[in-house]
Amino acid sequence: MHARSVGIRIAAVVGFGLAALVLHAQADDASRSILKGAAVEYLFPEQVTVAAGKASDVTLHFRVAAGYHINSHTPREEFLIPTTFSIPDGTGVRLDKAVYPAGTDFTLPLDPTDKLSVYNNEFTIQARIVAEAGNHLVEGKLRFQACDKSACLPPRTIPVAFNVVGK
Amino acid sequence: MKRNTLVLTVVLFILSTFAWAGWANYEYRKQAADRMLASVAQGELVLDPATGTPQYLSPLKGKPAPPFVLEDLNGKKVSLASYKGKAVLINFWATWCAPCKIETPWIIELRNQYASRGFEVLAISADDLNRDDPKELAKDKLEIAQSAQKLHINYPVLIDGGSLDKPYGGLDELPESFFVNRKGVVVAAQLGLTSKDDIESNIKKALGN
Repeated sequence: MHARSVGIRIAAVVGFGLAALVLHAQADDASRSILKGAAVEYLFPEQVTVAAGKASDVTLHFRVAAGYHINSHTPREEFLIPTTFSIPDGTGVRLDKAVYPAGTDFTLPLDPTDKLSVYNNEFTIQARIVAEAGNHLVEGKLRFQACDKSACLPPRTIPVAFNVVGK
Repeated sequence: MKRNTLVLTVVLFILSTFAWAGWANYEYRKQAADRMLASVAQGELVLDPATGTPQYLSPLKGKPAPPFVLEDLNGKKVSLASYKGKAVLINFWATWCAPCKIETPWIIELRNQYASRGFEVLAISADDLNRDDPKELAKDKLEIAQSAQKLHINYPVLIDGGSLDKPYGGLDELPESFFVNRKGVVVAAQLGLTSKDDIESNIKKALGN
């Protein structure tokens, strides 16, 4: 009985140890990918079911990498690149309208007077889509330009892929 | 007896698992270190474990600045070689880069301050150029010119900086600056917004002070 109890405890410690190793490895990967420029990640949904031929709202969820921000859809300065979502033609799903969240204020430490309108952490875009009947793989695109407190990454476009079932 | 054997087997299994986990962790870290070294060879930001802040490691430091010939906003070819004998700050920037707009006035002031001692700045725009469409290309050039004008840049502005991303270590983030001495050797590099003092200190290194 005692031996079994000790065995269970050791097994639990091993389990925790392995879980910590896996989580640590994932955290290292995340920090590397941030510096390589993958500053925004599409989260979900993977699949939505909508009424065919009718406008339907789909909420798309995104995450901005820790320490980075991207310009909102309506940056205050003309030279800044706005975040935009689009769906290419010919996919059986049309983007009728995209509603973007308001940006939050952000100032660079070396220029506290200039407020930027940005998204950071997680944000959503409300996409109003019209789908034909059937199954469609939507390969939308999110264009954005990310910076941290001192440097900027080049503008990027990432795929926003999700299945749309039009019924 | 059977129970002892069972417990011994379980303990051996667990110890083996620990050993395997340790080996796997070592291999993972070794591979991560190799990846980091490979990326440093391309010019990369790496996190300083002591401060937790990104630091720029440029493989170009101490080496001859990669040569280039780029067009300025008027279409005139400008070569780095023509600046030999001068200390040169090669400043990569872009119209969409907010931190670049903060450091540009500092660079203008420093250029005015040190020009008489043989210092020059070459601003190289990393903005994408649509070379397939002459109208779009003209529009791209106009936007760069307007941005440079708004910033009161009084030194040469070259375009198509993206063509230098490989020789200059990736140019993954902006602003990025390389300080070249009179012999054409890179003596310092900066990635991201730092401070006017840092820039001035590196200019002095390039001038040989």
